[in-house]
Amino acid sequence: MSNVLRPYLAAVRSTLTAALTLENFSSQVVERHNKPEVEVAGSKEVLLNPLTISRNENERVLIEPSVNSIRVSIKIKQADEIERILCHKFTRFLMQRAESFIVLRRKPIKGYDISFLITNTHTESMLKHKIVDFIIQFMEDVDREISEMKLSLQCPSSYSRRVVPYSGKSGPLESSFLLWCSSVCVEKFNA
Amino acid sequence: MVPPQVYNISQSPITSHAFNADRTQVAVSLNTSDVRILSRSGIDWTPEETLSEHDKIITSIDWAPRSNQIVTASQDRNAYVWQQAPDPLTGRTVWKPTLVLLRINRAATFVRWSPFEDKFAVASGARAIAICSFDPDNNWWVAKQLKKPIRSTVLSIDWHPNNVLLAAGSADMKARVFSAYIKDVDKRPPPSVWGEKLPFNTVCGEYSSNSGGWVHSVGFSPSGDALAFASHDSTISVVYPGGPTIYTIRSTSLPYVTLTWTSEDSLVAAGHDCQPVLFSGGPSGWQAVGSLDDSSAPKTPGGARGALTGSSPVGRLNSAAFNTFRNADSRGLGSSPGGGSQLATDTEMFTVHQNTITDIRPYEGAPGAVSRVSTSGVDGKLVIWDVNAVSGMSTRLSGLRVG
Amino acid sequence: MDINFRKIDVDAYDEDVLLETELYDPDPREPLQVVEDAKAKAAAVRTSLAKGDTVGALVTILDNPPYGPNIDEAKNLTLQTVVTVLNSTKSTDIPNVVKLLPVEAQDTLMKYLYKGMGLPGWGDVSGSVLLGWHEKLTEVAGTGCIVRAMTDRRLV
Repeated sequence: MSNVLRPYLAAVRSTLTAALTLENFSSQVVERHNKPEVEVAGSKEVLLNPLTISRNENERVLIEPSVNSIRVSIKIKQADEIERILCHKFTRFLMQRAESFIVLRRKPIKGYDISFLITNTHTESMLKHKIVDFIIQFMEDVDREISEMKLSLQCPSSYSRRVVPYSGKSGPLESSFLLWCSSVCVEKFNA
Repeated sequence: MVPPQVYNISQSPITSHAFNADRTQVAVSLNTSDVRILSRSGIDWTPEETLSEHDKIITSIDWAPRSNQIVTASQDRNAYVWQQAPDPLTGRTVWKPTLVLLRINRAATFVRWSPFEDKFAVASGARAIAICSFDPDNNWWVAKQLKKPIRSTVLSIDWHPNNVLLAAGSADMKARVFSAYIKDVDKRPPPSVWGEKLPFNTVCGEYSSNSGGWVHSVGFSPSGDALAFASHDSTISVVYPGGPTIYTIRSTSLPYVTLTWTSEDSLVAAGHDCQPVLFSGGPSGWQAVGSLDDSSAPKTPGGARGALTGSSPVGRLNSAAFNTFRNADSRGLGSSPGGGSQLATDTEMFTVHQNTITDIRPYEGAPGAVSRVSTSGVDGKLVIWDVNAVSGMSTRLSGLRVG
Repeated sequence: MDINFRKIDVDAYDEDVLLETELYDPDPREPLQVVEDAKAKAAAVRTSLAKGDTVGALVTILDNPPYGPNIDEAKNLTLQTVVTVLNSTKSTDIPNVVKLLPVEAQDTLMKYLYKGMGLPGWGDVSGSVLLGWHEKLTEVAGTGCIVRAMTDRRLV
């Protein structure tokens, strides 16, 4: 891993670890309900200060902690128009299948490309440090994946030609990514 | 050193546990609406009975040692008192529930019997604490509420040994001491450091840690003259009400969520850190002594422990990080910069508990001379620890300072 | 039909509602005084830096930092001063400087690091400098320090 990226990921890792200190917390506002407080924001005292970790203006992570849930939002590096389009397609593809990723949110919050919502149910059923590993690995791989896709777009190989006429069905690249993701999910969360 | 006794109770989290008086049975709630009574059989625990009456997750259980009654609190807003009685059909002795009229409209979060076992207190998300006492005329438990000045969910409570004062920690970042004096039940308590005249709902003290954080756990010292609380800013605070003097110990690790006093000058706290930590001190100051979890000893068969699997960048769950630092410190093994992918191989943590410890209780010894404590956690384990088996954690200690 | 009434936050009118300002004790100092303090500290920091005393400079500026509403000037000035100190420290010196800081100052420094990272492109805040400090500070003060940056409502 490059030396520039390492402190960034290390900071995200330590902040996530500190934020993933969740407990089962029943809503104070609605009777007999249990809601992710970071989403409903019904009571101020159970929300903590949101923290941003940024490498530069275009790459940052926002971590919003609360008593029973945290929201992690990532702004992925997009240097040019191609990367912007790829990133959009990519995150959209993932978020449409959010339920297979368990912790993925269906929509990113404003100003970010992809958001995760981790609740106390997740930290109870999965290992906390594995969830952190998953997010970190996602951040590592998403950059690489986008640069690879960009590369294959730019050199007219048979590979890229299969991807470019995007017909609405998953192209081979995307399905390979989906395979990767689901394998990561299975590997991570069942560990 | 006696190694801790580890019992794998379930795959699901244990939200609360309570032993009976002679420690032959334990009541646990496994993140469901049922209470399981387990009996000790040899070296293991076997399910004895299931108490089903609640319809949402049980948040807290307490077992009165002398009167042998169990009280349970749940997110369904109710509390039940369970008593053993013969079943009219089979003649077997079974646990019978009695509903308590709590008059709260949010989750019940925590419950504790008073020391004399004639009252119990139920903390709730309704920004109130219900103090329940038995009304023999109507044959039910009635509640009186402590409301002011609580502003948020009450997360934990603890009774003073005089049966009247009650400490409460809540999500509004305050630990408070109340009077829970009930006229027909209690005799007038003798004056204490907390005050002399104590009508119901007197606030005898309100404390918080400077850096905020929900107060997860409160506890009176065995004499009742000091109060300790653990808050979400990873601190343990000990209050001596005379001054008042507050000692706050900042931890370098994740927040503690539960604590218990073992003697007048020591307490054990545990939480997201996954290991119980012993603190000691007195009116002149407090400090962390060390962990009860000796992270260097092999705990499970077949695990290649202690070996540096991959590397641990900063901010891994602290036990692994600690191990890396300790290796770097004592054996001169450096931590090579590594990526997340390398870490994917180690699924096990270096602590006995593999996830947050949610409940810690005295297990053996009289109040003030507790020699063993029991913990239960999100990993479904029940562990009994020897309080005196503190591993030397010089590295850790240097990071824990009184602030 | 007018549905705007649905968007009214009715809970805000609950008399029991907990306000932002009740979550922490306010700064006892007057706003003007806070600005004066910040200016005086900035000057003291320049003196310390001129002598090469990074630890002293950090301790000065991190002591009793301005927090709460309506003192943006003092907050900006303090952040600027902190960033100056951070930028002027050689990366090899960081671990030692961090170790020598009192615990209180470590927690405050963590707050400023996150604040700096939350304002990308602001002044001369550089992400890599802050990340470098963050890493070294976490090694010394642990995740507990980060937890306190989250829980402490006295936002700098």
